[in-house]
Amino acid sequence: MQENREHRRMVLVVVLIYLVILAGTARAFVPSAFPKPTIKTMFNGVWALQLESYLQEHLGAHDVLFQLKSRTDLLVGEKMIHGVYVTDERLLEKLLAEDVPSAAEAAAPVNTFYTETGLPTCFVLVPSASEIYETTLPANAVNAEQSTRIQQIYSEMHSGIRCVDAYNVLSSMKEDYIYYRTDTHWTNYGAYCVYQSAIQKMGFTPVPYQRYVISHLSTEFRGDLYARTLYDGVKADVLDLYSIEDGAEITEVLAYNGDSVPQDRSTMLYNESALESDDMYRFYLGNPAERLIIRTNLDNGKKLLLYKDGFADCMVPFLLQHYSEICVVDLELVGEDYLTMADPSEYTQALFLCSMSSWDALWG
Amino acid sequence: MYLSSFTFTVVLLPVVLLCYYFLPERCKNGFLLLCSLLVYGWGNPARLLYPAAFLCFDYAVGLLLERWKQRKAPAAAVLAFSVVLQAFVLIQVRYAEQVKTNFLFPFGIAVYTLLGLGYLIGIYRSRHAAETDPQKLALYLLFFPVLYAGPLTDYAEFRKQLTSRQRSLAGLSEGLATFIRGLALKVVLADTFRYVFRELRQPAEMSMLTAWLTTLAFSMYLYFELFGYAEMARGLGKCFGFSLPENFSQPFFAPSVTAYLQRWNMTLSLWFQKNFRHFLFHERRSRGFRYLGLVLMWGLIGAWYGSKPQFLLWGITIGLLLLLERLVLSSFIRKRYVIGMLYTGIVLQFAWVLLFAENMADAAQIWRAMLGFGNGIADQYGVYFFTSYIALLLLGLYIATDLFRNITERLMRPGKLQAVWKPLIHGGLLLFSLASMLYGERVTGLFLKL
Repeated sequence: MQENREHRRMVLVVVLIYLVILAGTARAFVPSAFPKPTIKTMFNGVWALQLESYLQEHLGAHDVLFQLKSRTDLLVGEKMIHGVYVTDERLLEKLLAEDVPSAAEAAAPVNTFYTETGLPTCFVLVPSASEIYETTLPANAVNAEQSTRIQQIYSEMHSGIRCVDAYNVLSSMKEDYIYYRTDTHWTNYGAYCVYQSAIQKMGFTPVPYQRYVISHLSTEFRGDLYARTLYDGVKADVLDLYSIEDGAEITEVLAYNGDSVPQDRSTMLYNESALESDDMYRFYLGNPAERLIIRTNLDNGKKLLLYKDGFADCMVPFLLQHYSEICVVDLELVGEDYLTMADPSEYTQALFLCSMSSWDALWG
Repeated sequence: MYLSSFTFTVVLLPVVLLCYYFLPERCKNGFLLLCSLLVYGWGNPARLLYPAAFLCFDYAVGLLLERWKQRKAPAAAVLAFSVVLQAFVLIQVRYAEQVKTNFLFPFGIAVYTLLGLGYLIGIYRSRHAAETDPQKLALYLLFFPVLYAGPLTDYAEFRKQLTSRQRSLAGLSEGLATFIRGLALKVVLADTFRYVFRELRQPAEMSMLTAWLTTLAFSMYLYFELFGYAEMARGLGKCFGFSLPENFSQPFFAPSVTAYLQRWNMTLSLWFQKNFRHFLFHERRSRGFRYLGLVLMWGLIGAWYGSKPQFLLWGITIGLLLLLERLVLSSFIRKRYVIGMLYTGIVLQFAWVLLFAENMADAAQIWRAMLGFGNGIADQYGVYFFTSYIALLLLGLYIATDLFRNITERLMRPGKLQAVWKPLIHGGLLLFSLASMLYGERVTGLFLKL
């Protein structure tokens, strides 16, 4: 009798769990993500793998289960969730040393550009937060080193190219809020500090910090590292907007993707709708575009060609105070075709600004 | 399709169990065969050509051997031909898997080759009669719960269960519980150890600590993967009313290599004993010949695990160790349990290296590091993983002992309290297993190509 009750309960518990999971999976069904079988993929094993991935990503109660596992791992002794170190203060991405190009290979794209165009060029490699806050990583944590690597790449640069030592600027400011706690990017303030050095190298006087009015867009920003780990034990971030009263104003924003007609974003540099989405950092430069042309009411004849990754997004507003036009080329979207994206003869200066990790990923 | 995939655990399993329980008795075997075909052919139905060919061959040869029962010489020739042919196909398939990209490995081939050969040898040695019903033989060869590493059953035993088996609530509940425990062993423990093992396997020279952690993580990974799969198979078997034998019995901390292997993949070594050693190197032969048989048998088991030459070497090493224990060490070890345990643990850690090393030079480098001649005693990497995973490694070692087994058995005895928390514990394990599957990297394959 006792035994029978036990067996009934066992079956009942399992059935209940299955009902919850399956109902959750059905409710969260994403028709666009569900793999469509074709004759070919049915027979070469591809569809089976796609289906498995779909179930893994869209299983009912996905987030709860993910947190259950990652929190247990942390309890047992693991200090990392999906390649992200968890510390009391912040989430720090583990930097890999594998598959990185040599210093000469990493320097080549900028050198080629400079020798081919002769445009005054400035180069900024931004270290990751994991490098700046290396001392706060868990004991013995393995992390690829970036500061020497940046120096090595800089030493390979053509002598005419001006390199900005972002590592020193940022590491001297590390007590300040220069990197997000839950996102790989730097904050506006981090970007401002490096902007000051970079813009001087490009022959301008930086706009003083005091002239900016800072407002909080959100105090509940959880960035890409949070999305990877779903770890909410770290304080949420603050997303700031730096505005300037009597500065240059934007007159036109054009976004180009492929050969199609540009999307006219009128004078909207910022993307308000991103604040309602999961990826609030998109606020700064809107949805990624291969090429973005931003014009201002400045009439100084200075035009900047900017090759960048996501780190530049929150620096562009600072740069706009000095140029009548900036052409922003997203290296992460165009990759090796970067040279064909704009006509350098139309511009007076060029800036390459990229994080060290995405620079390695781009040319590795 | 692997039993530890979402496609099986979340989608197929509930559908199969539901249908199975509501189908009339006479359709049940047919339905199980259909499920087996689905599991084996998943992703690429063309993969079913292999088992189909093996089935036809075994069925026909079985009938032939039955007819030639009195004519030993031609029967032996046919049997020898079958063994060589099937072994040749297995080797070819494994070779193709290594050299061709995009080759879809017909998984389970190592298992159904053994089952088929065991069936034929059984007829030759009059252990059972040839099967006249192809459906029954097909279900024996392709019974999907055992597709990865068994447990291997005897045909006579399996056939008995095919025709008469009990379906009960107790069987379903016990089966689900066993399946869940096996799944947890595979996806919670084995997959974590696999991650640790893979992270520690760096091209750079290892320190002593890293080398030992690597082999330890590998041995635990292999054990929990095979053990977990065997438990899942047993659990599924129980759900369908079959009673499959145990395949592993807490081998860690055994006092000798002999004792260790008596608890390691038991149905596999039993198969080789019955169909190879006792068949060709039986008691009437000279002692030296029988010893040769022992070493050869383990060499074959090694070769069955994988096609790299190191696997064969691993098997032969194990065979030689067994021989050494039988001839020299046994009396010494028997009286000194702790020394025996340490010796077994250490010697086997060295042996496991052969299974995961890329080649012999790689293996030699790891051995050097294990002996302290590598990159020092400890490096940053080793220390990091040691501190991160020591708790889990100790837990794994504990679960692999008799101590844990005794405690769980005592706790699982029927009783008032057990009726409450036994289902709860298994429910928790199921949820945690699903969480681990979802958290881990995608299931793209298992270490052994079986």
